[in-house]
Amino acid sequence: MVQSRRIAATAIQVLWMAVCVVPGLNPTDLRAAVASTAARLPSTQLSIHWIHPPDDASRGVVEVTGLDAATLKQLRQADWKPEQWQRLMAVRVEQGDLITDIGLPPMLGTYRVTANSLRFEPRFPLDAGIAYRATFQPDQLPRGKTIGAKPVSAVFRRPVRTEPTTVVTQVYPSASTVPENLLKFYVHFSGSMSGGHIYEHIHLLNDSGKPVELPFLEIDEELWNPDMTRLTLFIDPGRIKRGVKPLEEIGPSMEAGKSYTLVIDKEWRDSMGIPMKSDFRKTFQVGPVDREPPDPSRWKVVPPESGTRNPLEIVFNESMDHALAQRMIDVSPVSGTRMKGKATLDDQERRWTFAPAEAWHAGAYKLTIQTTIEDLAGNNIGKPFEVDVFEDIQRHLTNSTVTVSFEIR
Amino acid sequence: MKPFISRILTPLLSVFVGLSMAHAANWTAGMKEGNPALKSAGPLAFGPEGILFVADTKGAAVVAIATGDTKPASGAKAVKVEGINQKVAGLLGSTADTIIINDMVVNPISRNVYLAVSRGRGPDATPVLVRVKSGGELEVVSLDKVKFARGELPDAPVDGVVGQGNRQSNPRQESITDVAFFQDRVLVAGMSNEEFASTLRAIPFPFQTVANGTSVEIYHGAHGKFETRSPVRTFVPFKIGNEPHLLAAYQCTPLVQFPIKELKPGAKIKGKTIAELGNRNRPLDMIVYQKDGKDFLLLANSSRGIMKISTDSIENAESITERVADKKGTPYETIESWKGVDQLDLLDAQNAVVVRRGEGNSLNLESLALP
Repeated sequence: MVQSRRIAATAIQVLWMAVCVVPGLNPTDLRAAVASTAARLPSTQLSIHWIHPPDDASRGVVEVTGLDAATLKQLRQADWKPEQWQRLMAVRVEQGDLITDIGLPPMLGTYRVTANSLRFEPRFPLDAGIAYRATFQPDQLPRGKTIGAKPVSAVFRRPVRTEPTTVVTQVYPSASTVPENLLKFYVHFSGSMSGGHIYEHIHLLNDSGKPVELPFLEIDEELWNPDMTRLTLFIDPGRIKRGVKPLEEIGPSMEAGKSYTLVIDKEWRDSMGIPMKSDFRKTFQVGPVDREPPDPSRWKVVPPESGTRNPLEIVFNESMDHALAQRMIDVSPVSGTRMKGKATLDDQERRWTFAPAEAWHAGAYKLTIQTTIEDLAGNNIGKPFEVDVFEDIQRHLTNSTVTVSFEIR
Repeated sequence: MKPFISRILTPLLSVFVGLSMAHAANWTAGMKEGNPALKSAGPLAFGPEGILFVADTKGAAVVAIATGDTKPASGAKAVKVEGINQKVAGLLGSTADTIIINDMVVNPISRNVYLAVSRGRGPDATPVLVRVKSGGELEVVSLDKVKFARGELPDAPVDGVVGQGNRQSNPRQESITDVAFFQDRVLVAGMSNEEFASTLRAIPFPFQTVANGTSVEIYHGAHGKFETRSPVRTFVPFKIGNEPHLLAAYQCTPLVQFPIKELKPGAKIKGKTIAELGNRNRPLDMIVYQKDGKDFLLLANSSRGIMKISTDSIENAESITERVADKKGTPYETIESWKGVDQLDLLDAQNAVVVRRGEGNSLNLESLALP
């Protein structure tokens, strides 16, 4: 039995490879390729099976063999609507419980009659871990009622990785003390995560371990980077403390002088649907409110020597937003174009270094900083995060820049 | 978002009839035929002649698709599909917990319901548009050969690449939180995953070769005497008096109005906060409708059910300029029987369609008589 299964499996692989190696494959070639290989297979009994290329189980197709030539010819000539094909053969996803499964539509796909079989090619790739049940109803064949054969079905389930591997690798700000009006966290993961209902896995605990109620802005679109390895988590600005009095009713998310713990629970699934390897916890202190806009004139610029590719260093007078500081500061010769190189942040996002792709020359250089760069409280250059409408503060509405000059010797 | 084809807007549109009629025959002119190759499908809105606007956040664009679904509905039919998430999952060969229904809109001509679905929850998720016909049958909208046009979001970041070699990527992404069609413009509310800013763009439609949308910054004054930058969650074009306005619900629940005529390039707009809808609450979706000769706004929220607000009270609303303890401003009525509504759109003059939470994990699509 085992032996015969192996033979069958090998035959299926050969069959698939025969299909795949045909250059410039088109439906006619496909039929020819299948016919030439499969003619040697026994085809006297009606059977249904899933086949897939050896290297990609997500591209599985269903094949029904054992149909006689006359039936295949009738099917080939049948001018059927999709519903008629679906009554003959359908693939349904088992959703987990019988009640739910009743009345679910079959999976979309294409029906094709080859020289010796009927095939169903799913429109969407087959997901790992999901049970796909293909059922063929012989009584729905053109002369089906007279055949008297019983329905045949085959379940396919792609193996799924079950070992948790994904972890939170870093949370920014990395500082151990943050301002009371901290605006956001960036959560970095070691692999791609899954979206949808993410906020139930993110918790902020106060110093007695109790969860802070709704501290984050829960945004349906979920603010991910394209490969879903970084999540941006905004603190609800409606929950940031203003003035000396706490907010009525619900109160501020965080208060100066207290400590909090950000918890990411491991039940959150990665993009493969596997929970994370471990919970993540980051405890931090909350310091005074910061309503002071970043001021580049107070940054310390440490120029490297000419002729080297040593990094340029800027020491900020406060921690800056990790993502924005990485991309909102450009370096260029004073009358030249932007230099290529790599910017990194460290020392709790208080130090910015730029490793140039080419060596420095002696002379005047400048930093060009977009005014929309933010500190940890979301203050921009020349514009605090919140503006008292009764004070006359000049705003920079466009994405303007400021420059800071320095000399390479 | 949805809302705009409503009876309330009809008289408003007639004001612009000269402009609209000039375009009327040419909405699909300049469209290409082929596959629009959506990278994602988020908020939806219908424009004229069955043109569906699909917000593609990953593609940094709004894609206009001529659905060809322009046969007027015959009579009023109730919509009811229980377990819509499970049924869509079945159709796509997946399970309910691995798909996301991102938005739902009604084609105002055919009254077919359209769903923006994400098949998968990871970065490789496939965007799918599903049409629910009036009998409740589901079908995937084929995008292999359709007329479409792309409105690229202007100011898409180009120089934010970080990382090295093959790991290089631009982590900045602008999520589109809502779209609507108004007159001859597609209005797009966006929010960045880095800067905490709110942008609202008015992109002329049909899209030009170079889409130079209008980007504005909107402030509201809900938090005491402070103005706050905050992202717009959902909005609806709306007429207040004789003036076309946008009513915008922000992520942190104030309801703000401002005149559409102020949407000019680079403008800073200070909206008038007319209601503060309360803490522990997120706005989800809005529609406008008319009943007994009066105009109403329906706002779906995460925790306060559906709010029904009369536009008379909006017209006469005082701006909120002081600290608000919780909810304040324009009074509203909570419609208790509409519970668990995630998505909301107008079906016809008497009915709305909602996606709302049913038993267990199932979501139901159903029509409800407008309150």
